[in-house]
Parts: sequence; structure tokens; C-alpha cells
Amino acid sequence: MNVAQARAAGSVDERPVKRLDVMNALSGNRWIRGTIVASPLTILLIGFLVIPLSYIVWGSFEGSKLNFSHYARVFASETNLNILLRTLQTGFIVTVVSITVGYPVAYLLTKLKSRALSTISVFILIPLFTAFLIRTYAWMVILGREGVINNALISLGLVSAPLQLLNTTFAVVIGMAHVFIPMAIFTMYSSMVRIDHDFAHAAQILGAKPVQAFLRVYFPMTLPAVFSAGILIFITAIGFYITPALLGGPSDTMISQLIVTQMTVLLNFELGYASSIVLLLVTIGILFVASLFIPLEMIWSSTSTATLDEKPRVAARLFTRLKRAMEPLLRVTESTIHTVTSPLLTRQARWLWAYTVLVLLFLTAPLIVVVILSFSSSPFVVFPPPGLSMQWWEKLAKATDWHQSFFFSIQLGAAAALVATIVGTMGAFWLVRTQFLFKRTLFLFSLSPLMVPVVIIATALYVFEARLQILGTFGGLVMGHVLLSVPYVIVVMAAALRNFDPALEPAASVHGARPLQTLRLVTLPILKPALLTAGLLAFLTSFDELLVSIFLLGRQTPTLPIKFWGDIKYQIDPLLSAASTLIVLLVTASIITVQLIRDRHNKRTSTSIAE
Amino acid sequence: MSTSLEMKNIQKFYGPLHVVKDFDLLIQPGEFVTFLGPSGSGKTTALKMIAGFETPTSGDIFLGSRSIVDLPAYERGIGMVFQNYALFPHMTVAENVAFPLTVRKAPRQETAEKVGRALQLVKMDQYSGRYPNQLSGGQQQRIALARAIVFNPSILLMDEPLGALDRNLREHMKIEIMRIQKELNMTVVFVTHDQDEALTMSDRIAVINEGRLVQVDDSKSLYGKPKNRFVASFVGESNMIPCRVDHAQNGVGKLTVAGIAPGAAQLSGQTDGAKAWLFVRPEHVDIDLRAPAADAPNALHGVVENALFLGEMTRYLVRCGDETITVKRQNRGQAHFAGGTPVTVSWKSEDCTVLN
Repeated sequence: MNVAQARAAGSVDERPVKRLDVMNALSGNRWIRGTIVASPLTILLIGFLVIPLSYIVWGSFEGSKLNFSHYARVFASETNLNILLRTLQTGFIVTVVSITVGYPVAYLLTKLKSRALSTISVFILIPLFTAFLIRTYAWMVILGREGVINNALISLGLVSAPLQLLNTTFAVVIGMAHVFIPMAIFTMYSSMVRIDHDFAHAAQILGAKPVQAFLRVYFPMTLPAVFSAGILIFITAIGFYITPALLGGPSDTMISQLIVTQMTVLLNFELGYASSIVLLLVTIGILFVASLFIPLEMIWSSTSTATLDEKPRVAARLFTRLKRAMEPLLRVTESTIHTVTSPLLTRQARWLWAYTVLVLLFLTAPLIVVVILSFSSSPFVVFPPPGLSMQWWEKLAKATDWHQSFFFSIQLGAAAALVATIVGTMGAFWLVRTQFLFKRTLFLFSLSPLMVPVVIIATALYVFEARLQILGTFGGLVMGHVLLSVPYVIVVMAAALRNFDPALEPAASVHGARPLQTLRLVTLPILKPALLTAGLLAFLTSFDELLVSIFLLGRQTPTLPIKFWGDIKYQIDPLLSAASTLIVLLVTASIITVQLIRDRHNKRTSTSIAE
Repeated sequence: MSTSLEMKNIQKFYGPLHVVKDFDLLIQPGEFVTFLGPSGSGKTTALKMIAGFETPTSGDIFLGSRSIVDLPAYERGIGMVFQNYALFPHMTVAENVAFPLTVRKAPRQETAEKVGRALQLVKMDQYSGRYPNQLSGGQQQRIALARAIVFNPSILLMDEPLGALDRNLREHMKIEIMRIQKELNMTVVFVTHDQDEALTMSDRIAVINEGRLVQVDDSKSLYGKPKNRFVASFVGESNMIPCRVDHAQNGVGKLTVAGIAPGAAQLSGQTDGAKAWLFVRPEHVDIDLRAPAADAPNALHGVVENALFLGEMTRYLVRCGDETITVKRQNRGQAHFAGGTPVTVSWKSEDCTVLN
């Protein structure tokens, strides 16, 4: 017997008694459901970002005293002004280098079949997810006085004394480029992969030389991708702390270092606030200019690429004028490039492959150096190592301080990932599933922890949590990490939800599933791979995090990055290599595991129909 | 196992947009009713209101004798086949079919039995361990059907279920769905924009246009006696020729057709002097070489503009003054008229109707 009939058979006109299922009733109401889903994210963003930031703004002019002299000091002091300019300069150089180096690789990736693609992506993903600290450490090993490069140059007889490579601008640019190239490749690739190569084929069949087809058809279509990757890298780069602090010399100081020094060493809080606000304003300014050219959300989530129905942006008009002016020059360039490259261009794109292999080598070699160094017999960081031994691994096995840090970081990462995944997933449901005004703005706002330089978030939370008296507690630290990782969860989950077949939930509902049953039996199981990815990203974000931890740690066990940071600054020895190797292995294993689970799930549930 | 469904004066507004207007419809137990209409006509909205995904702005819906408008979808006990099947990709075929029973917490034994029976009914019993993406479109369709009927729903809704299938499979599934419906004696509401599906499968067809029920009738009356121009042109092919009613008597009228020729046709309520349209199906029009002095009623002189040979029949377009008349003639070895041939087209007065 079916339920409906049994009830209908009962008595005429008597509505069935509704079950006293509070949760189901609540989740049935649109407004209540909206509020429940929206509140965690809203509370997090307002409570732990907006309010702390306003503290800083308030503090930077000493509140009601309206004392703006600290801003004057930022600009009046030649040192400070120089640091600001150098920050922008370094950021710009690093951005241009990363984009230029990454573009051909991203281009090649768009042409690959799935097998080759996943092989290459592993080589890019591993560096991408390796902690900044470890990668920077690797460059210290490579560029050091007895590092790979100096030893190689000396043994080749090219130089007689080791070159000063470390603590130079060159080292900073190399180290940061190494950090940002994988980011550039993936950001550009995810939008470029949507561009059909048939456009270029069409151009060629219509008579364009390969160079023309590329320059006039394909390349202009990739410009939004290039631009958004550039913005992402630039605003991250100008807030960068670890690499310039370890690889640069005194003249390479960047603004984040200045702020950290003022806040922790000089205890010059107001100047620190003012410098933070200046950095924040620069970032906002850049984002504003960028928003004239591309939709901002494209920078962080490639899913919402520029839609065609939007009115042509300033960029389009600008480009048309620019193109017309450049026409003669372009023609000359095209024909020159064509004559030069046509003998080199082969169908197999061998040159592109060779280039890509070189880039991959640049990306992975430092990690390999670290792994080899961990087996060194020397007590010093010398490369190549004079002999092999397990001494550093044995030492690591006995180092209880490292063990404590390791387990503390795992705990912290797990807690942060759990909270961030729950808050971010609910937020993504809210942002994707409900209709309301300013949805785009709110989506952007929910990503703002990625836009605000980390050092500012760290300072703001420090002041704020001190007020709340949760500074130095585990909870306070977790909240800091949740704030930083929630945007990644939102980006991943929003993409997954946008691809979610809208008929599945009604199908569950009409066949008798209550809202919570639908969530448990249909929605969440289908979102499982996305949830895993989001959780892993959140965990890795927390596991790598240095600045916020430094500010919020208090007297707790140092996290792994803080432990690493402390050691790297005072005694750089191969023990760090052993620790790094271990971390890289663990991270790689977790990435591969999640990837395998995803593949299995996708293979089973992909919407394609078997013939 | 079937229930009647009644929609009483249903209205649906989306803001100022009136998408469903004055819906009054009683579907008998065991009846197969099709909502037929162009896209955007409101037929899917009407179906969603029955399923419980949309709430009517006003009006009431009864399943049997019970009002269901205030029930959420999951308490209505309705089976539904979705346009793209909406099979749960992470569940096997058996799990998908068992879903309505699982969420109702049916005993395992009973579930297994019912799932087995439902899969047998759609002839998919050997596929129960597969995942939906390992099945072809037609197979997915069968599973969706099995899932919708496994819990003996009081009524089955189908939202353009054949739209995604290729032509042969569609023909086959039409017959399968009819067989299963007869076997279970289910009440079915079927939504489509495809008139062939509607004409073949339904006991009654509800033609919907701009949110309104235009005509509810069985296939034959709908095709033979459309109530207005919309139905006439949406269901099947038709000729619409402007005409004037000169003299009306007992539902039959003497007319002037296309402003020149005399004619006679059945009226649908027109009076003397009314300007209206003469409706006649192309297969009811005869075509012949122009007879010099034929001044019989319902005959127009024209020239063949275009003759399309379609195998079992030929389709002529004949230009008669300002009008183009479509003629379909079975090919039984008669003479063929090439383009440019002067011809006369004519039809019997009982085969044509005057529509407003």
C-alpha cells in the first residue's frame, strides 16, 4: 500500500497530521533555511575580518584623535617610501616573469589528452602545494655559498670564489617566481582550456599563417585569463613575507617585513597600522582598476568566466584603438616571426615540449635537491653532499620538539579544515542556491580573505583577539586559519554546486525524501569529491600558514611552519631537509589519494552516457 | 491502483506574469492525459504544481478526494519521470529504483521484491548492479520509469520523457510506456510539445496555449474537430482560408471562400456576415486538372507551385490567388502534377469547419 492512498482512504478532507519533525519543517521554510545557511559565513567574515580591519583603520589615526601623522611618516621617511616602491617593483617583475614563463606551458596543457595532462599536472601540483617555507629553503640551499650553483661554477672553473647569490634581488625574484609559476600556469590553464582550438584552425583555413592565427585569434581570447592570473600574482606578491625575508638582502625588504618588524620588534603599532592600510589601499586600488577590465570573481574562480552578454568593458574599447594603432607594427612582427619560426614549428610541437620540460625541471629540481640533501653525511648544508648517511633522519626521529610541532600542526589543520569546510560549504550553498541582490558582490566579499594581504589579516586578528582575550588560545588560532582557508572551500564548492544537476533534488523529493534525507542521501554524496578537495585545500592552507600563526600563537606549541621558520633563521642544517622531505611526501600522498578518490567517483558518476 | 486528479481553478503568477490561467481539469482514475503545448505555454509549470515544486497562486488540486496543495512534494506520493531522467549518479540501478522505498523506510525484504518486480516490468532486471552512466539513454529512461512506479504511486507524472531519445528509440519507448500504463492501470499526466507523442499515447489531450487550457479532447476529436485556429494549426497540418459566412442554418453555412469562390462548411457558432477562417486538413483536399466550368462549392482554381514527392504520398503547394493551399495525396498511381500545372483543388463540406 502506498502512503498517500492509505491516508486518502482515511477520512475525507482531513489533512494528514504533519510529523513533528522540527528540522524538516525548518528546512522547508525558505527564509529560515536561508538564514541558517548564511549565518556562519556572515558571522565569520564580519566578526573576524570586517571588525578586526576596522580596528586597524581606527587605530591607524588613533581613533577620535584623528591623528594622521603616522600616514605622513609612512610617506615622509625615505626608507619607508623606498620599501613601498621596491615592493611594487618586485611584485611587478615577479608577475611578468611568472606569466611569461607559465603561458607556453598552460598553452601546451590545453592541447594535451587526459593521460599526459595528469602526468604533467602532478609535476606542477606538487610544487604548488609544497609549503613556501620549504621551497624557499630549497633555494637557500641552491643559491648558498656552497650551494649547487656556486659549486658547479667553481668546479667548471668559471669563477674562482663563490658568487654572492643569496640575499640579492635576483634570489628574491627567482624564489618568488618559483612560487608563482605553478599558480600562473593553473590559473591561466583553467580559463584557457575553455577556448576551442578550432578558432585557430578556422583562422588558418581562412588563410592566416600559424603566427597570425595565434596572435590575432587565440592570444586575444586568452587575454582575460592572462590578466586575471597577473592580478592574482601581483596582489599576492606585494603581500609576500617569507621569500623576501629569507632570500633577500637588507635592500630587498618588502612592505610585509616592515609591518611585521614594526608590530613585533619595534612595537610601533600605529605606524604598523598605517603601513597596513597603505598596503590595503594599494591592493584595493589595483583590484578596482582590474575590475574595469575583467569580472573580478574570474581571478579566483575560473568557473565564472566573462559572459558574453555583459557590455563591452573599458578594455575592449581600449584594445580596439590600440590594435588599430599597432596594425603596421603587428604586420612586420608577424611576418618576421613567421619566417623565423616556420622551419621550427612542427606538428608535434617539439619545441614547446622541450620548453615545458625545462620549466618542470625548474619547478621540481629544488625539491629533489632537498630530498638528496636529507641523506647528506655532512653537518653543513653542502651540495652535492660529500657522502650519504641516515644521520639526519635518525636525528629527526629523535627530535621530540619537531614531533610536537608536527602533531600540533596536524591537529590545527584538521580543526581548521573541518570548520572551514562546514562554514564554506554552507556559504557556497547560500551564494549559489539563493537569489538575491548584490549576489556577485557578496561572492567577491566572501573571497576577500584572499585579496587582503595576509600580514594585514594577521595584524588585525592580533589586535582583535587580544581585545577578546582569545589571543594565544587554540580556538583563536583555528579561527585565523579558518578565515584564510574558507575562500578556497567556497570557490571549490560553488563550482561543484553550479554543476549540480538541478533535477536531482526535486527527483528525490517527489519520490518521498524529506529535505534532510535528500541532503544525506543525494546532495552530499554527490558533492563528496568536491568536499574532499575543499577539505584538503583548507588543511594544506592551515598546514603551510606562517604569518597568522606567528601573531596568534602565544605560548602554544609552535606550529610546524613556525618551528621551521625559527630553525631556518638561526641554524640552517640538513635536518630541515629531512623534515621537508617528510612533509612533501605526506602532502603528495594526500593529494594523490584525494585525486584517486575523485577519479573513481567521477568515472562512476560522470554524466556522459555509455553507448 | 489508480486515483483521480482534479485541478480546480488553478492560477499561477510569477510576479506580474500570469503563467497558468483558469485551469479546470478532472483526470479519471487510470486515464492517460497529455499536456500538449508550445514551449513557454505553462504546461511544465502546471506539472510542477501537481508534483509540488511550485505552489499555485490560487485554486486547489485534489488527488482522489484529498487536497494536496499544502503538502510538500515528499508527502504527495507521486511518481515522476524527469526530462533528463534525474537518476542519482552515485547509486546503482537497484539503489536508484529502491530510493522511494528506502526513504519511506520500507522493510528490506519488501524493497528487494518490489525493485525486482519494477525492473522486470521495464525489462532491465539484469542491469541492477550498473551505475546510470553505464547505461544508454533508452535504458536510463526505463530505470527512471521503474523508479517512478516502484512504490505504486497514486499517479505518474512524465515531463517530456522522450525528448532526449533518438527517433527509433522514441517510437519504441512510446509503446513500452503505453504497455506499462495499461498493465498497472495507472493515472498518467504526460507533458510534451510533440504532437505525435500526444496523439499516439493519450486517452485525452489537454492543449495548452499561453497558460490556458484551449481544448481537452481525445486524439480523434482534437484532430478532426479543433475548437480554434491555435489547436488546428498546432496539432497536425492544416489549411486556413479566410472566408465570410453568407447564410447560416442548423450549424451549416454557405460561405464565400477567399473572397471569390462559393463554399459550404460546418460552423462553430458563427452567424450571418461573420468573417472567419475555413479550416481543412491537407489530406482532405482533392487535386485535379483544372476543369473549365467547374463552379461547384469548395473549389478553388490555382497553379501548382511546388510538388514534393515523399514516398507514400505527394505534397502539393497550390497557389490560388493570395492563398496557398497544401494538398497531401496518397500515391496510388494517379497522375502527377508538375510545378506550373493549372489545377483545381476542392474538398467536401463535411470535411471542413469554420473557425474564428
